[in-house]
Amino acid sequence: MNKILKIQNLTKNFGSISAVSNVNLEVEEGTIHSVIGPNGAGKSTFFNMISGVIPPSNGSVYYKDKDITGFESFKLPHMGIAKCFQITNVFPKLTVRENVWASIFSCSHKSKVDLFKSMNDFETIDKDTENIISDVGLSHKIDDKAEELSHGQQRMLEMAITLGAKPDLLLLDEPTQGLAPEATVEMTELIRKLSKNYTILLIEHKMHIVMEISKIITVLNFGEKIEEGTPNQIKNSKKVQDAYLGRK
Amino acid sequence: MMKNKYSFIALIIFLFVGPFLFPNATIAEMLIFGIVAISTNIMLGYTGMLSFGQALFFGTSAYISGLMLLGGFPLFLAIPVATLGSFIISLFIGYFCVKREGLYFICLTFAFNQMFYFIAYVWHDVTGGEDGLVGVERPAYIDSQLTFYIFTSMMFLFAVIALYKIVTSPLGLIFKLIRENANRAEAIGYNVRFYKLISFSIASTFTGLAGSLYVLIHSMVPIDQIHWLKSGDIIFMTLFGGVGSFLGPLIGVVGYIWLSDTFSIIWARWPLIMGVIFAIVVLYFRGGVSELLENLFKKYKSISKKTEHEQNIKNTKLN
Ligand SMILES: Nc1ncnc2c1ncn2[C@@H]1O[C@H](COP(=O)(O)OP(=O)(O)OP(=O)(O)O)[C@@H](O)[C@H]1O
Ligand SMILES: [Mg+2]
Repeated sequence: MNKILKIQNLTKNFGSISAVSNVNLEVEEGTIHSVIGPNGAGKSTFFNMISGVIPPSNGSVYYKDKDITGFESFKLPHMGIAKCFQITNVFPKLTVRENVWASIFSCSHKSKVDLFKSMNDFETIDKDTENIISDVGLSHKIDDKAEELSHGQQRMLEMAITLGAKPDLLLLDEPTQGLAPEATVEMTELIRKLSKNYTILLIEHKMHIVMEISKIITVLNFGEKIEEGTPNQIKNSKKVQDAYLGRK
Repeated sequence: MMKNKYSFIALIIFLFVGPFLFPNATIAEMLIFGIVAISTNIMLGYTGMLSFGQALFFGTSAYISGLMLLGGFPLFLAIPVATLGSFIISLFIGYFCVKREGLYFICLTFAFNQMFYFIAYVWHDVTGGEDGLVGVERPAYIDSQLTFYIFTSMMFLFAVIALYKIVTSPLGLIFKLIRENANRAEAIGYNVRFYKLISFSIASTFTGLAGSLYVLIHSMVPIDQIHWLKSGDIIFMTLFGGVGSFLGPLIGVVGYIWLSDTFSIIWARWPLIMGVIFAIVVLYFRGGVSELLENLFKKYKSISKKTEHEQNIKNTKLN
């Protein structure tokens, strides 16, 4: 089986706090691999190191066998890695269309000359934009400003922006956070659909979702990897139960 | 789109009517600082970067073009060389400035401005120091009032069209992404620092172009044109007009130059009045004069629509 992402001994210390320590992880191409753990376990920090937002204190990240440790974050979408943020992170005063268009343009324009062309010269990007927006169910809002959307719709837009990079590997940081139950179901369905075309590394709090859709689950606690396995193995793991119960 | 069409029509009308409303030197100054403010807005309004050093580019370019004209070079060489000079200096200075954000960015641009001012001040042999660079002659073919006006308005239109092309290109969208959310722009693959540098350079290069023309108005370059107070004026004019629209800053320039011309005759302490006006605009009309006009226009439209609607109701009743 092909491992698209390999992480070795990844570590991040904030002063004396060790947010992530010595985590090893391999993501198999074409699967949904989830990372779970109690609040503050280090999941977002772990993601931020992969996506270049914060440089690791130690360890390495290999993507398609290339060492990408500490790469600046703007380089990753061009290599095929896109990230969806835990806290909704869109362009508020721009329309839904502009939000997604800009993301597609970023990874699809070939030369700097394209920067100076007219916005109307990019038919393929226009079409892709509409398709992606329709995939996340926001077609009726396409010309509204992002700030005018509801929270749930902004989460969907966040996802659409991420998909605009046409990535091979999707990093999703709690895509269902703060969503109403119906919207959560919708998002779960979307992730399941996406898994047919993308490899997904998912952080998620809601257990039933993780158990339902993941192939492999990695459990972090206090920055360390304490368990890894199939949903069934994780469900029956004593260590995992302790970690979650111990915190409550 | 409709909004832009109306503004461009208004602009063309202004270009025809302007020379009859204002004295020759005043209208030329309005167009030249129009280029400065509209280009500064690319950085300020579109990208969200406040530079307190734009007089550096305006002044330096004015010196280069003035010195070349004094040296006997033709105007059509002096303008491109001075503009290119601003471009190169902006890349160099911008490279350091965009490494920092917010207040630190402002301070850096300000510091560079001070540095260039100081050089101009002490380098008396070349710049004329405090006395200014004097004795620059306008070429004969633009010496008459009419030809000079045609020349400046052509240069102005060229700059406005070029800048409009930029804001309506993907590059213009990238600038807005940076203003809205620089982290997210980075996460979707844009090298934010690089694009900030481009934005800074575009604004500075066009400001340089304007500076190279400025020398023709009064046949001289006074040293205030490179002073940081001028950088303040540039920001003031841009904000006063409104950073929310492409041509908004031009309204600020016209208003500012007209008001300061008017008040400076009446009262020597006129900057006081400008200060009060500035405070009012910043406190109550964040979008500047252009947004104020736009809102009035919208209100007028909705009222006329309403009366039309009422008329229709009346008509149907009558039928
Ligand atoms: N920039 C930072 N400086 C100092 N400490 C930090 C920083 N970022 C995170 N931490 C700490 O690192 C630990 C891990 O945080 P992280 O956000 O990665 O957890 P998480 O698993 O994503 O939590 P959640 O489930 O709440 O999203 C926490 O103790 C947090 O306080
Ligand atoms: Mg988190």
